[in-house]
Amino acid sequence: MTAPGRWYAAAHRISGVALAVFLPLHFWALGQALEGERALESFLRWTEQPLVKALEWAIVLALAFHLFGGLRVLMIEFLPWRDWLKNLAAASAAAALGVALLFALSATSAQAQAWPQKPVKFIVPFPPGGATDISARLLAERLQEIWGQTVVIENRGGAAGGVGAAEAARASPDGYTLFFPSGSVMTANRHIYAKLNYDPEKDFVPVTKVVMGPQVLVVPANSPYRTVKDLIDAAKAQPGKLTFGHAGIGSQVHLASENFVNSAGIDAVQVPYRGEGPALTALVSGETTFMLANVAAAVGHVNSGRLRALGVTSRTEFAALPGVPPIAKTLPGFENVGWFGIVAPAGTPKEVVHKVYQDTKKALESTQLRARFYVQGLVPVGNTPEEMAREMREESQLWARVVRERKISVQ
Amino acid sequence: MGARGETWLWIAQRASAALLAPCVAVHLATIVYAVQGGLSAAEILARTRGSVGGLAFYSLFVLAAAVHAPVGLRAVLAEWAGWRGPLCDAALVAFAVLLAATGLRAAWAVFA
Repeated sequence: MTAPGRWYAAAHRISGVALAVFLPLHFWALGQALEGERALESFLRWTEQPLVKALEWAIVLALAFHLFGGLRVLMIEFLPWRDWLKNLAAASAAAALGVALLFALSATSAQAQAWPQKPVKFIVPFPPGGATDISARLLAERLQEIWGQTVVIENRGGAAGGVGAAEAARASPDGYTLFFPSGSVMTANRHIYAKLNYDPEKDFVPVTKVVMGPQVLVVPANSPYRTVKDLIDAAKAQPGKLTFGHAGIGSQVHLASENFVNSAGIDAVQVPYRGEGPALTALVSGETTFMLANVAAAVGHVNSGRLRALGVTSRTEFAALPGVPPIAKTLPGFENVGWFGIVAPAGTPKEVVHKVYQDTKKALESTQLRARFYVQGLVPVGNTPEEMAREMREESQLWARVVRERKISVQ
Repeated sequence: MGARGETWLWIAQRASAALLAPCVAVHLATIVYAVQGGLSAAEILARTRGSVGGLAFYSLFVLAAAVHAPVGLRAVLAEWAGWRGPLCDAALVAFAVLLAATGLRAAWAVFA
């Protein structure tokens, strides 16, 4: 054997050994699909780590080397060609294989790296001024810095988030239109509305829960009620007289209020508005008696003295509203926590979904942003798409029960 | 192993290599198709599951690899490590079974 021939043979064997080690691992990993889609999804995500990517590239090189050496041997043994022609043919085949494999491997990461090339739109399914809108705007500021692209907030209020949800569901799944709902839009509306023009499970893929936070029971500054007990006593004394506003049937604010009314055993009249912002404005002007608003939306009104906070829906006192007792002090065991997050239209490339999740998580690590959320009464979350999906499924089951027991429905 | 056995292994090695080369090309085209649109695991499985042709092709692919790799390793172990004999052959048969079992399981998971 010639000297180059010995080197080719050695390369063929070394690459063969590398492939022999890799192959059973590769087969085992793909077999994870038997455990379900989530297991395979986790594996695919694992392969996106830099170290694993480097290993994949090494395997590509090994495969190309191995193919070159193997083809060369086959041609030497079976084809009456000149040596240089055999080498050329084998090298060409190996190079073609290597290039194609590298293309395949880099296709997905290149797609994710290339995104975003233009402004990204967050559809917020409520009017400006509510907690959903505030959360989206605070996050968007930081994401703009990370992405180097404008993040546009588009408010599409109506039908307790249904109008914006339907629009987001129909958007092109290219990652440039994302949906920023409150939890109820994804987990409660389907149990309340007889006809929903979007399917929370089929039309969207979870990205990440951005923030969570309790609600606060607020009354106008000139209200005679100074404590939770005052309000409950008054409602019991005059059943059906007190009113509470909310952001639409099935909205997070509505469900929190229904939960409170149910737990307190009172009879109050609900007044739906197009969003939390308009509902709060109505409360400030005295159109309604009380409201369980998201802390993020109400804290400004409370701090400026336009509204009085009677209690928070968290089990303990909430840092953003010092001195405001938990409602649980008056109604033992009462708790209600809402959340706001990002979902993407179904079919959005998973690399883009993963990038939005990772960048959101990165944004939420910013001390400045965390502080701004805390001031608004919101706690940063940034969980994985899988965790968000699981929590939404559990929450959906909870709301199915509450809606059934409270007989909340819209035809 | 006798000369006859060695000849059969030589033939098996070449035949499986000839089978693997086009299989790798088809596999490659499949990967490019699958990852270009950034498909999720659910989307990939939705397209592959229930494909009898896919299952048959990848089963053949796996079996060819399960023959080719152990025979190749046998030559490497003998020439570079000086390890040969019944124990070595038994270990390589076990490796072939491992490859075939995990490979067929993977093909079943993705295509059945």
